[in-house]
Amino acid sequence: MINTDILVIGGGPAGMTAAIKASESGAQVIIIERYHELGGQLIKQTHRFFGSKKEQAGIRGISIAQELTEKIENHSNIRVMTEATAEGYYEDEVVTISHENKFKKIKAKKVIIATGASENMLAFENNDLPGVYGAGAVQTLMNLYGILPGEKVIMVGAGNIGLIVSYQLLQAGVDVEAVIEAAPKIGGYLVHASKIRRAGVPIYTSHSIKKAIGENSVQGAEVVELNDNWEMKVGTEKVIEADIICLAVGLNPLSDLLIQAECEVVYTPELGGDVPIRDENLKTTKDHIFVAGDVAGIEEATAAMLEGEIAGLKAVSEIGYSNENIFEELNRLKTELNKLRSGPVGKVIKNGIEKVRRGNYVGKNRYSHLR
Amino acid sequence: MDDNTIVCRCEDITLKELRDLIKEGYTTLDEIKRALRLGMGPCQGNICLDIAAREICKMTDKTMEEIKMPRKRPPVLGIKMGELAGDQDEK
Amino acid sequence: MLEKTGIPTSDDLKAIKPDKERLKKGPVALIECFRKIPCDPCFYSCPFDAIDEFKDINDIPNLDYETCTGCGNCIASCPGLAIFVVDYNKNTLSLPYEFLPVPEKGDLVWGLNRAGKKVKKAEVVRVKDPAKNDKTAVVTIKLPKEYLMEVRNIEVGELNG
Repeated sequence: MINTDILVIGGGPAGMTAAIKASESGAQVIIIERYHELGGQLIKQTHRFFGSKKEQAGIRGISIAQELTEKIENHSNIRVMTEATAEGYYEDEVVTISHENKFKKIKAKKVIIATGASENMLAFENNDLPGVYGAGAVQTLMNLYGILPGEKVIMVGAGNIGLIVSYQLLQAGVDVEAVIEAAPKIGGYLVHASKIRRAGVPIYTSHSIKKAIGENSVQGAEVVELNDNWEMKVGTEKVIEADIICLAVGLNPLSDLLIQAECEVVYTPELGGDVPIRDENLKTTKDHIFVAGDVAGIEEATAAMLEGEIAGLKAVSEIGYSNENIFEELNRLKTELNKLRSGPVGKVIKNGIEKVRRGNYVGKNRYSHLR
Repeated sequence: MDDNTIVCRCEDITLKELRDLIKEGYTTLDEIKRALRLGMGPCQGNICLDIAAREICKMTDKTMEEIKMPRKRPPVLGIKMGELAGDQDEK
Repeated sequence: MLEKTGIPTSDDLKAIKPDKERLKKGPVALIECFRKIPCDPCFYSCPFDAIDEFKDINDIPNLDYETCTGCGNCIASCPGLAIFVVDYNKNTLSLPYEFLPVPEKGDLVWGLNRAGKKVKKAEVVRVKDPAKNDKTAVVTIKLPKEYLMEVRNIEVGELNG
């Protein structure tokens, strides 16, 4: 058994800031990450980030990952375990992990779960043809391994991920034949949309993919227009040629460990799926467990990093590592987070969070029937 | 949508198999999981459970909130027997 | 409609156009950021405080055209690559560019409009080193006046064989 003060599960933006914040007060921190380096999705984000200049806006995701990784490496009381996957959360608060092919147990005074999210899949005819990719896989191939996924891409989804990955594909020299979006409006930031539009990429809103075409691999897709009720309009089908169909149709919080730990989770569409009930310090219904980042609700990296800091700070303060300024610092972070969420995009997130505030929620936990 | 559309890539389950089962009265994910192995492959339901839940909603007039999810158990991801059995814990 | 196509409409564009008098005076920045998003680096990038400080980070940036000198510092600071500088005296347009190859001074490139259509050939008159702006190049091209409000991207390569 490995004992520690704080265990952070997930080495993405939320987990990294949580670990840094927690270690600054002197606590012993372990951060585990499934990949062989820290950074999470940041290591694939070659574009400049939005948000507040004070919180890294204008900086590319890859540079933020580097900076946070260096900070973590410079903290002697943070132990980094990469190639480490959390496998289970047990009722005696023990977390089991698979680390470099060894099975280990960790017991921490507080656990911060920052496992992020997984990509949604779409059901359409021939969706199992080689050439149908998730946007995350395309980014991994292209931006981590330097491998072109194909020559011509159809992007499904005009949220920020779909728009940004389209831009990155163009930068890599891949033709983006079209971005199609089922909703009547582009979901991502319109500056991202304009950026790829003026590079010649058509964006078709109120359109869906009907089927992938191809014998042994993708050769194109049949797309179709949708009416106001999101039903396919017969006769509007058209074929777009491509060797890659890239799906960017949303993310789902990776809440498995939270559910194993019997934290109360609530299905909240505004936040992407089953997310934990939490207080404003990101503490779940279990005294031991905090959350931060996409697992607490799908948002972007700037918010994830602020949440990580809040959770990290609060978690160490509860085990006796508080410093004098903790309340001021927590308030500052919460104010920043609130500012970030004050616009039209943030409003949806705020509505979702309001629903899962401790005390507010009256709905159903989709997992509670098994208790 | 074509009935041969794959809903669960790990276990090769088609939309037709799923719909037929719902029609027969298997309307919870737990029942479907036991009958089809839906969600029991390497991805542990990350890809298929949401798609299947939406299909149940459509066919039984339920909302996503009302769909009961299968229990999540350790291990989250596949792990080798040797790894589990080995005494390689740090002291 | 911008929300459907990604192309700003003439109504959207009205909101950013400095008047003719201002355009005559020399270079000026145009911020084509039309919808509220949480973002503020442009404010910090301006050495002349011509962009109002954001009361709410979601506000649309407000540029004072009289204070703006058209220095172009803001161009590469914008994560949305939505800032351009036009100069009606020298007939030039400066834009952010994040593709390879980066063009060189004297190159002939295609000027593309907001829909990505080739509309006018243009000569590159200046390129700010991408290394100085964290990999974002700022390219200045020479264009007839009537294209300064239309061209918003370039295509490099084809015209230089």
